[in-house]
Amino acid sequence: MTALVAQHLRKTYRPRRRGGAPVVALDDVSLSVGPGEVAGVLGRNGAGKSTTVELLAGTRAPDAGRVRVLGLDPRADRGRVRGVLGVQLQGASLHGALTVRELVRLYRSFYPRGLAPDRLIERVGLGPSRDVRFEKLSGGQQQRVSVALALVGAPRAVVLDELTTGLDPQARRSMWSLVEDLRADGVTVLLVSHLMEEVERLCDHLTILDAGRVVARGTAAELVDRAGLRPTVTLRTDDLGAADLLHRLPVVEHVDAAGPRLTVTGTAAGPDDPRRGDLLHEVGAALAAAGVVATETQLRRPTLDDAFLALTGSPLEDS
Amino acid sequence: MTAARPTTPADRTRDDLPRVLELPEPGAPPHAVRPGAGAWWALTVAEARMVGRDTAGLVVPLGMPVLVLVMNGLHPGLAEVIPGTDGRTALDLYVLPLTLTMVVALVGVINMPSFLAYYRRTGVLKRLGVTPASPAMVLCAQAFVGAAQILAGVALALVVAFAWLGATPPADPWVATGVLALTVTAMFAVGMLVAAVAPTPGSAVAIGLVAFFAIGALGGMFGSRENLPDALATLGGWLPFGAAVDALGAAWAGVAVPGSAVVGLAVSTAVAGGAAAAWFRWE
Repeated sequence: MTALVAQHLRKTYRPRRRGGAPVVALDDVSLSVGPGEVAGVLGRNGAGKSTTVELLAGTRAPDAGRVRVLGLDPRADRGRVRGVLGVQLQGASLHGALTVRELVRLYRSFYPRGLAPDRLIERVGLGPSRDVRFEKLSGGQQQRVSVALALVGAPRAVVLDELTTGLDPQARRSMWSLVEDLRADGVTVLLVSHLMEEVERLCDHLTILDAGRVVARGTAAELVDRAGLRPTVTLRTDDLGAADLLHRLPVVEHVDAAGPRLTVTGTAAGPDDPRRGDLLHEVGAALAAAGVVATETQLRRPTLDDAFLALTGSPLEDS
Repeated sequence: MTAARPTTPADRTRDDLPRVLELPEPGAPPHAVRPGAGAWWALTVAEARMVGRDTAGLVVPLGMPVLVLVMNGLHPGLAEVIPGTDGRTALDLYVLPLTLTMVVALVGVINMPSFLAYYRRTGVLKRLGVTPASPAMVLCAQAFVGAAQILAGVALALVVAFAWLGATPPADPWVATGVLALTVTAMFAVGMLVAAVAPTPGSAVAIGLVAFFAIGALGGMFGSRENLPDALATLGGWLPFGAAVDALGAAWAGVAVPGSAVVGLAVSTAVAGGAAAAWFRWE
C-alpha cells in the first residue's frame, strides 16, 4: 500500500476580481509516497505546494482527482485519517494565550496514543520556553511548536509544510535530524520546501511543482541528470597547448579559454556511463602525461539548484 | 535544545519519537479516532484560559452591568414599593432584570463571537480541523466557558443587589432561572450569527457592539421603552433583550411571564441559530 497518493489533482480558486478568470492552483498533479519514505515537494511561492498539502490533509476538496492517505480518503474517512496523519499547516495559528506546554498537552489529548509532551518539547528545542505563551514566541519558536503538534499524536504519516522556514541554521539541523528519526521509525514524511539543501539531504525522491504543474520527479541525482547538465573542471595553466590537448579527450565536450583560465565541460553522459564523474581524473591524467602544470583545478558538479533552474526556467531563490 | 546533529544512528535518542512498529498491524487501515472526554475537558480548560487571560474582555461583562446596577440602585425613586408585587421595587422589577440581561448579552453577543472570529481568522479552527478534534468542540467549549462567565456575572450582580442595594429575590425563582436559561440560548444564537457573518475579528466586535446596542436600546437599556414610538417599542419587546427584561421582570414580580417575551426569545434562538448554522464557516 502506498502511504500518500495524489492522482491527477486539479484545483481552481475563484478569481480575485469579479469577472476574472479562475485561478488554477493545481493542474493534473500526481505524486505518491511509499510507506516509510521521505518525499519532497519543491517549488517557488505560488507553485501549488500548500494547495497540495491542503488537499492531502483533506481541508479542501479537489475539483478533480483522487487523494489517498494510507488507503483512505481524507474527506470521506475523516475520523480514521485524522488519527494517523500529522499535518503542519502553513499560516495556521494556535491559541495565542496558551503556553507551549499547554498547547502540546491540549493537542496530545486529541489522540488516544502519542508522545510525551514534555519530552517532545525538549526534542524540538523549546524546553526553556515551555511556559511562554505562544503569542510571545519568535517566529522560529512558533514554527517548532507547530512541528511538535504535527508529531504529538505519533502519526504514521506526516505532512510538513515549510518545516524549517524562519529557523536559524542550528535549529534547522535539529529539525533535519528529527526527520531522520521519523524515517528511522518508519513514519512516512512529505516535506514541502523551497530549500534545495533540505530536500536534497532528507528526501528519497522529490517532485518539482511549477505554476501548478509537475515539471519533474525523481531522486535529486536523477533530476540533475534529467536536466542535461554537465560537470565542469576549471583550472589555470600557462601552457598554450593545454586547451587543444584536453579537447581531444573523449570525456570532454568543449573547452573555454579565458587567458590562462580554462573551463572544461564534460560530455552529456547518462548516469550509467562509466566515464561519468571521471572528468577531473581524466583531465588531471592527461595534463600530467603531457607534462602540463595546472593549478587551482576544481571540479564543479551540477547541483539541484542548477537542475531546478533548467527544469523550471528560473531560479528558486527569486521566489 | 538538542545540541548537535547526532552522527551515528546509535547516538540518537529515539525514545520520544513515534514508534510506528508498535502498531498491531502496521499496514492495516487505521481505526477511527474519536476524541474522548479528556479532549473535551482539555479544550474547555484551554478556552477558559484564553478567556481568563483576556483581562480586558472580562472587565466589560462583569463590571459594566454591576456599575449600571449600582448607579441605578442608588437612585432614591427606585426604593418605592410597586403595589401588588409583594413589596418589590423598580430595582427588583426593572433594574435587576436589565442588569442580568446585559451580562448575558455582553458575553454572548460581543465576547464569544470575537473569540470565534479570531480563531477562524488566524487559522486556529483550520489547524484543529486536521486533528481528530472537531472545530465544533471549540464552539461547545466556548459556549460552556461563556455560560460560566455569565454565571459569575449574574452571581456578582445578585450579591451586590441583595447585600448592598436591598433587593428582593424573585417571587418565582424557578421561572426566573428558566427565563435566564432561555435568554442565554437566544443571546448565544445571536452571537453565533455575529461570528458567522463577521469577516474579521475586528468586524466581529463591531457587529457585536452594534447588535448589542441595537437590541439594548430597543429593549430599554437606555431608558423606558414607553418613550419609544409604538412600533419600535413593540419590536423591542420581541427582540431578545427587551423580551428577556420583560420576562425576568414578570418572574420577579410573580406574575405570568408575557407570552410574547417567551415566543420572542424562542424565535430569536431558532432564527439566529439556524442562520448561524447555515452561514458559519470554519475558515
